[in-house]
Amino acid sequence: MSPAARNIALAIAILALATSAFFLQRSQVYLLSLCCVYVMATMGLNLTMGYAGQMSLGQAAFFGIGAYIDAILTTKLGVSFWVVIPIAAVACFFVGLALGFPALRVQHHYLAFATLGFNVLVYLVMRNEEALTGGTFGISNVPRPYLFTWSLDSERAYFWFTLAALVIVAILMRLLLRSPWGRAFAALRDNPIRAESLGINITAYTLLAFAIGAAYGGVGGVFYAGLVQYVEPSTFYFTTSLMMLLAVILGGSGRFFGPVIGTVIVILLPEVLRSSSSPALQFMQKWYLVAFGVALVVLMVWLPGGLLSIGDRRARKAAA
Amino acid sequence: MNRTLQGLVMAAAMAAASLAVAQPIKIFGLVELSGTGAVSGTNFNDGVKLAVKEINASGGILGRQVDYQASDTQSQAPIAKALAQKAVDQGAYVVMGPVFSGSILVSMPETRKAEVTNFTGGEAASITQQGNPYIFRTSFTQAAAMPKVARYLHDTVKAKSVAIIFVNNDFGKGGSDAMVKALEPYGIKVAANISTDPGQVDFSSAVVKAKQSNADALFVYSNEEESARCLRELKKQGYDKPIVGETTLTSQKVIELAGDAANGAIAHVGLSADAPQPEVQKFSAAFQKEYHYKGDHNSLKGYSAMYFVKVMTERIGKVDTKALAAALHGATMTVKDNPGVLLDVSFDQNGDLDRVSYMTKVVDGKQAIIATLPAAHTK
Repeated sequence: MSPAARNIALAIAILALATSAFFLQRSQVYLLSLCCVYVMATMGLNLTMGYAGQMSLGQAAFFGIGAYIDAILTTKLGVSFWVVIPIAAVACFFVGLALGFPALRVQHHYLAFATLGFNVLVYLVMRNEEALTGGTFGISNVPRPYLFTWSLDSERAYFWFTLAALVIVAILMRLLLRSPWGRAFAALRDNPIRAESLGINITAYTLLAFAIGAAYGGVGGVFYAGLVQYVEPSTFYFTTSLMMLLAVILGGSGRFFGPVIGTVIVILLPEVLRSSSSPALQFMQKWYLVAFGVALVVLMVWLPGGLLSIGDRRARKAAA
Repeated sequence: MNRTLQGLVMAAAMAAASLAVAQPIKIFGLVELSGTGAVSGTNFNDGVKLAVKEINASGGILGRQVDYQASDTQSQAPIAKALAQKAVDQGAYVVMGPVFSGSILVSMPETRKAEVTNFTGGEAASITQQGNPYIFRTSFTQAAAMPKVARYLHDTVKAKSVAIIFVNNDFGKGGSDAMVKALEPYGIKVAANISTDPGQVDFSSAVVKAKQSNADALFVYSNEEESARCLRELKKQGYDKPIVGETTLTSQKVIELAGDAANGAIAHVGLSADAPQPEVQKFSAAFQKEYHYKGDHNSLKGYSAMYFVKVMTERIGKVDTKALAAALHGATMTVKDNPGVLLDVSFDQNGDLDRVSYMTKVVDGKQAIIATLPAAHTK
């Protein structure tokens, strides 16, 4: 497919998705919004992990920081949602830098443990600093924003809003990956020594990828808080980081649409499985999490490179 | 032509109305069946299911069967919100749960918007402080239980000062804070407020501090195992003032672990599967038989909540969720007339619940009721 044809197809798909909100139930539209929100965060994780090759188990912490910044600023200080987005992005960028500076001295699973530790730390702060974060009971009644005078209170309006925001951050990500920075990220993932010999400052670029990935997590968190209208610490525990990691790997780490596909599967597949109303699938209502687990195992064994590697696999078979 | 159309519409409306009467009453459970809340959620859910089974076997509510559908929130707040929307859109008469305070805080705005009555097992104070007219508790909170203990300390023990030993986790700290607040209006001084750690083994220094405070009574508020250790140490050091607790202190587990040292301990008991009331014991036996495990206070919550729905719906005489919520505020239900509610209960204007509860004392290694405490609002 030519790039132009691909762009048109993509635009049609997005429009179709937006239109689908008219035909779906409220709770289904809400789940679609939840997907969009998580895709923002997993897209950031894909940059850190898939493109720059840094294993992170702390994405939920940045997601949580963004969500809490929104909850605290909008409920306690009445700051506008529109102001909160850049604040959260910048804050997470710098927290990412601050964490990355010491943590990125180590690689792979050591880095995974360092970021996991950071995630637990952030969780404890959320739970214990009651005066600021509301402790175990969190912060409720987080307001949804207005677009000029148009209230985004309904599920449908908020879904379109989130979808539009996702398209914008996705385009920004695409531009970033096409820029010299993006090429540098891929270079240091594939062969750090060669990258360095070509004059790429490894430390700086790794840090940058990590911090930008964190900022994406933070922006996702802001939209999450607006969507669910409530934040509590347990949502941002490291199990959520694992879920995000799963989404990236499942879809295809290092592929642009990998996190999109992966997140859609991780969030929607359990819901689709359990709400299937056909009598043959009745048993799914009880077994949906088991079926989900089995499906994941089968997929990973069959396609270790993620779902999007299916094309490569076919090509390889055809060549052989 | 117009006449025919009118007739058709009439017929269709009547058919729809008669269909509505025959249709079962839809009740949705949003419960934690997997994840961190699985134990609480499963207990709550099984309690509701047992009540539904009994109600349907005895002819349903106002002659209509109850159709109870439980969905798993996976102990996740965002999923709970989606499920609440789904329940509301599918025409729920009542929504049961979630049990986790975090989840109910997310899902209750949905039931509120749709004006659907919603029972919760959550105990966070903020749930009923938002002026939501559709939310109702199924148990009382520490903030409601402690004033009863305080009143007992004032009226019966005639204590002028009290020492407190509590476990420093969210349970113990919340209870201790509520107790300090409850003692204030009675002018009872807190002579010592002694913090202990979860899992603490050695209580000697805590007991020494309590003795040195020279208070007229001691309030012990901790988990079962720690309570037992504390009682043993109190006996060892020959503590001779009244020892009072709340729910855990005289529970069967503590009595087993503390042995002789538990004798004489006094505690306020609200909802407990071990409670001596015949209705509760009958429930416990039925629950054990049905699900092959011992129910806990969350199963009692779910079970009694389902009976609240039955009793109040029959009282208002129609299946109307808005009217149900309105009628529940200020309502009182007695065990005498409705055994399913297990303990006499009344709701206040916030949806907080109040029950008659009991002061219990350990006598010869058994929990015995020494006083029946009236509900807090009947001073």
